[in-house]
Amino acid sequence: MRVILITGANGGLGQAIARAFLAESPENHVWLGVFVRRENADKLIAEFSARCRAIDLDVTQPESWKKAVETILAEHKRVDVLVNNAGKHHDGLLATMPLGTWESIVKTNLDATFYGCQAVMASMVSQRGGRIVNISSLSAILAPAGQTNYAAAKAGVVAMTQSLAKEVARLNITVNALCPGFIETDTISGMNLEERKLAQSRIPMRRFGKPEEVAAAVRFLASAEAAYITGSTLKIDGGIL
Amino acid sequence: MEDATALKERIKAMMVENLMLQVTAAEIGDDLPLFGPGGLGLDSVDALQLVVGLDKNFGVKIPDPAAAKEILQTVNTIADAVQKKMAAV
Repeated sequence: MRVILITGANGGLGQAIARAFLAESPENHVWLGVFVRRENADKLIAEFSARCRAIDLDVTQPESWKKAVETILAEHKRVDVLVNNAGKHHDGLLATMPLGTWESIVKTNLDATFYGCQAVMASMVSQRGGRIVNISSLSAILAPAGQTNYAAAKAGVVAMTQSLAKEVARLNITVNALCPGFIETDTISGMNLEERKLAQSRIPMRRFGKPEEVAAAVRFLASAEAAYITGSTLKIDGGIL
Repeated sequence: MEDATALKERIKAMMVENLMLQVTAAEIGDDLPLFGPGGLGLDSVDALQLVVGLDKNFGVKIPDPAAAKEILQTVNTIADAVQKKMAAV
């Protein structure tokens, strides 16, 4: 049995990642980290009730992480996989960006990843094994204008991933980052037709990625087959970069 | 309360097992420095495992680097921390 915790599990990408792990093995037990919204998570739980549970998790609060991980350990005595998927963006030019916007994006994307890794570390060290997959973004590499906050936070996630991977490699704990490009999630569905066409014209594959295509990479990086892959950053962008 | 010698043996056994040391518990002196040259030669990853192991096996929590520096010097200093924890319960 493997115990998997996925944050941001109510969103499109989180849902796809959860489904990938649930489909991987009937032995997998998936915990869906949810905060405020949980309607999609509840549907998944209804479908896989025996091995899929929701857990309240405000990723920006270390105490919330502590409580969530304690709940999981009380049930299973282990955490095998952590997928730090929760994130958000709030774009704007640096010159006029309110300090609160900067802080909020860094806290949700970067600080939260740190809190999550720290929360599961004692368990993974004790188990002498574990998999952490951090969802970064292509913005970490492209650093587009208007995303100083998001790009910096996601680049921080990549650097944190590489550093932590070195710290715990000897303990069979792998830490990797994914950098998705344009993926068919809520962000994309908010675009109008013209915006979609313009975005797709910049993608060599001329289409947006599917959440399932990102989820497949997450599942692979968390698998036994990926045991020697750590500190890596995998971009999933249809060839943009 | 557990005899100090027996406690130190348990600590050494935990270290050998958790850190996969290439020495036996009997070869670890009570006052042998755990880190640095001339000592057991542990590194930061070993320290991380020790912190987790002491919490799991003895309920000793090491909350910050200053406490780690104080407690993780030798088997004797670790034993002192465990005994303080036991006395406080």
